Amino acid sequence: MATSTFIGAWVAAGLTLFMFSFLYKDNPFFRFGEHLYVGVSMGYTIVRIHYDVMVKSLYSPLAQEGKWSLLIPALLGLLVLTRFVSKISWLSRISFAVIVGFGSGVAIPRIISSNILQQVQGTLKPILKAGQPPFGMAQFNTLLILVGVVTVLIYFFFSIEHHGATRISARTGIYFLMVYFGAGFGYTVMARMSLLIGRFDDLILFASRDYAYASLVLLALVTAGLLVWDRGRRPSS
Amino acid sequence: MKALAGKLLRLDRRAIFVLIALATLIPLLYPIGLPIRVSLEVKRVYDHIESLPAGSVFLLSLDFDPASKPELYPMAVALLNHAFKRGLRVVGMTLWVTGTGMAEQVVSRVADEHAKRRGVDYAFLGYSPGGANVIINMGQDLNAAFPTDHYGERTADLPILSGVKTLRQVNYVVSLAAGTPGVESWYLYGKEKYGFELGGGVTAVIAPGLYPFLDTGQINGLIGGLRGAAEYETLIGMKGKAVAGMDAQSATHIVIIGLIVLCNLVYLLAPETAIRSFDRAQDRAGPSERGGR
Repeated sequence: MATSTFIGAWVAAGLTLFMFSFLYKDNPFFRFGEHLYVGVSMGYTIVRIHYDVMVKSLYSPLAQEGKWSLLIPALLGLLVLTRFVSKISWLSRISFAVIVGFGSGVAIPRIISSNILQQVQGTLKPILKAGQPPFGMAQFNTLLILVGVVTVLIYFFFSIEHHGATRISARTGIYFLMVYFGAGFGYTVMARMSLLIGRFDDLILFASRDYAYASLVLLALVTAGLLVWDRGRRPSS
Repeated sequence: MKALAGKLLRLDRRAIFVLIALATLIPLLYPIGLPIRVSLEVKRVYDHIESLPAGSVFLLSLDFDPASKPELYPMAVALLNHAFKRGLRVVGMTLWVTGTGMAEQVVSRVADEHAKRRGVDYAFLGYSPGGANVIINMGQDLNAAFPTDHYGERTADLPILSGVKTLRQVNYVVSLAAGTPGVESWYLYGKEKYGFELGGGVTAVIAPGLYPFLDTGQINGLIGGLRGAAEYETLIGMKGKAVAGMDAQSATHIVIIGLIVLCNLVYLLAPETAIRSFDRAQDRAGPSERGGR
């Protein structure tokens, strides 16, 4: 096994246990891991941005291929930095105007088409189709979607007071929303458990002899460290 | 009974952490091998890759970072294995700067396992700044969006990309996404305009929000969470990390369902929890608690 892999396993196991130590209570191990994560993420992002943006997308095309038109976006990018100098900070508005204008122009038609028109089309499917039985699961699903969409829309219609039929529809809409929230929560639990499984999977691997029982040794050290830290915090009587 | 319920209500929450940890750890150490049923949305992604003739261009966008690795990394491994087995031209890339290293590692590792040559059988384009704008740029000119690949080779010179000038020449795109930019961006800015088929592989958190897109056919298939990854591994006959984690996933879900039922029972039985409805709670709360003056 490569030395870097071995060291990496010890670092990974140690930092995982540091983060899990928060389940006991907030402590210096957790805070160290948390700050290290933020720092490493930022450092990694800065290095990649330097290479992928400044070198690969700007410097190389300019210097090697003579694409001078790239100076325009580069200048717009630099103008954003004028926010730090109050006297000329107004220059940054030029860049923001371009960003907002371009972003809105690109996004609005696509979102209307994709998230509204096509979704409406998908909701308003014909209930009865030629060649299909009149009372099948497909018809039931179509009706369910239709009722769900209409009643949820009525629930969010606040211009009139919810009385009578409107109230019944709005109440039905709430149940559809509850089912959606329940499904969303279930999926979220599944996602969080998957993350836990992923970390446990690695900890089990690093607890093997190949990695010199990294997980077990570090678990003992972190537990001992937490006990010492906890004892040190208690006021002496 | 009421006394016991009261005690349970005051139980240290760390006991639940231990319970969940055990429910996860024991099945990982002693797997049971619960059966995995393949869902239609996962099967559709598999079927589409199966339907592509060898030499078709398959673009895998790994739009996630290490925080979502346990869910999406097994998906990437399964999809890459499938694509390489089918003899597709695999193009990897990422829209997430923090995922670049991991994305490169998984693409090159699986390619090595299949003895595929970089630049000839597969390419990893790396990261390009701009998020969704990169997709638009790729739709107009792929070489402009990625002048060089991740390793500094000119994309125009790569044999694997011969005849692939824009996204119109890509046969199938799958975005493995943990957020934005991700599947929705690929649909909004890519598929709708450039006409390629699109599939999605996402974390379980964002999967419910993508089902409407699946229903309307805006995406042709969806692999959701570790469960979806396990289904895909089952389809290609590869027992990877996702399948291994399914027993633990099922065990933790059973524990959580049990805890929810238990908590509700205890809540109803405990003597000090007389407030059992929101309306009554509102009535009992003082004006300040209700936000009044």
